[in-house]
Amino acid sequence: MTSLHFLSFLSRGLGLMTFAVMASCTSTTVDEFRQGETGITSEEAVVVLGRRQASDYETRSEFVECVGDRMARGDNAIRIVPEQEFVDAMFPWFEPRTAPLRTQDLEKLMSEEVVADKMGDFGIRYIVWVDGFTETSGRTGSISCTVGPGGAGCFGFGTWEDDSNFDARIWDVGSLKNVGTINTDASGQSYLPALVIPIPLIARVEANACSRLADQLKEFVNGG
Amino acid sequence: MNKLIKQSGLILTTLGLFVGCGVNNVVIDGSFPTPNVSKMPVSIAVYYDDALREFAYLEYSETGSEEYNIQSGASHIQLFDAITPAMFDRVVFVDSMEEAQAAGVDAVFAPAIEEFQLALPAKTKLDVFEVWIKYNMRLLTPEGEYIADWVLTSYGKTPTETFRSVDAAINDAAVVALRDLASSFSLSFGDVPEVKEWLSTQ
Repeated sequence: MTSLHFLSFLSRGLGLMTFAVMASCTSTTVDEFRQGETGITSEEAVVVLGRRQASDYETRSEFVECVGDRMARGDNAIRIVPEQEFVDAMFPWFEPRTAPLRTQDLEKLMSEEVVADKMGDFGIRYIVWVDGFTETSGRTGSISCTVGPGGAGCFGFGTWEDDSNFDARIWDVGSLKNVGTINTDASGQSYLPALVIPIPLIARVEANACSRLADQLKEFVNGG
Repeated sequence: MNKLIKQSGLILTTLGLFVGCGVNNVVIDGSFPTPNVSKMPVSIAVYYDDALREFAYLEYSETGSEEYNIQSGASHIQLFDAITPAMFDRVVFVDSMEEAQAAGVDAVFAPAIEEFQLALPAKTKLDVFEVWIKYNMRLLTPEGEYIADWVLTSYGKTPTETFRSVDAAINDAAVVALRDLASSFSLSFGDVPEVKEWLSTQ
């Protein structure tokens, strides 16, 4: 390999790397609104539930699970009750049509002996209601692939933008009050260049929204 | 003889190809938890008629051909089998109204499906699969006279996902609708005016 060829190869590699780093960038904003004191003991637990009342979207259970898993890991980990286990055990009180929408509804619900007992069995101190979705917009570009006797290949370029917006409302089961709201907004551009082989450079928008929301929730619940 | 076998084989292969391109059968399958509600102090016989046991809904494509055959009779029975013992003091499952009369119960519960609707993203242009079911709930005396007869609707939806088949999404939306039925039925049963009145006499 001549030095000229090597320099050309290096610059292309660097260009691709810069592109990949730029593509993997997402911008995330987290807003916290505190309305009450918080704190949790090791015997107490949190349940993260997805809101599913809207007609045109529903909070994906995978996102809810992601937030819960992340809150249960690392420093100051919190005991998390899995969403499906909680909803099944509480059936029929936390179904999309019957779930409490306001803390006043929770107060009414807790007057049901069976609900209060189950809540006590799980050791639930906080209910976190997650509501939101990820929207994809601005899809542009095109990729065409061909297969021939000599081989196969793709050529073209595609791009799109993902925007995740999730609200988390934290209800204190002890005081039956809403103690705070955390909003996470993440957006990022993904690219799909194809020069023989398509190279997906995907912005991890929802994953970033999940990790930032979970970290903030963990800090919030711990009273930080 | 050989010609006949060859012709039969050809017909069967053609038939097989047609069947392969035809309707998709979706058998609704899910698990339904027992509701946490206070039991009512009555004994009930539960009777499922053949229409409920074998209930299936056919969804047609825009060209009018049969697209999906959704069989939900068995899952409805599984659902009512799970919820009724949690709602009433004593429950017996019967195969006929005569059997209900002999069981010495206070009333007979006979659910029926009146309407089933399916909304697919390909048609609605929304990113959700939706199932809507309308029921006719009937509470009868052991002799077959009406105590109460009311309509209940249930709704279930599930979002579209990249690596999930249409069959699986329809199943998930139907299971959500069945859970919705279970929750509204178990929570509202005692509030139906005729049922309320009947319960007060028991």
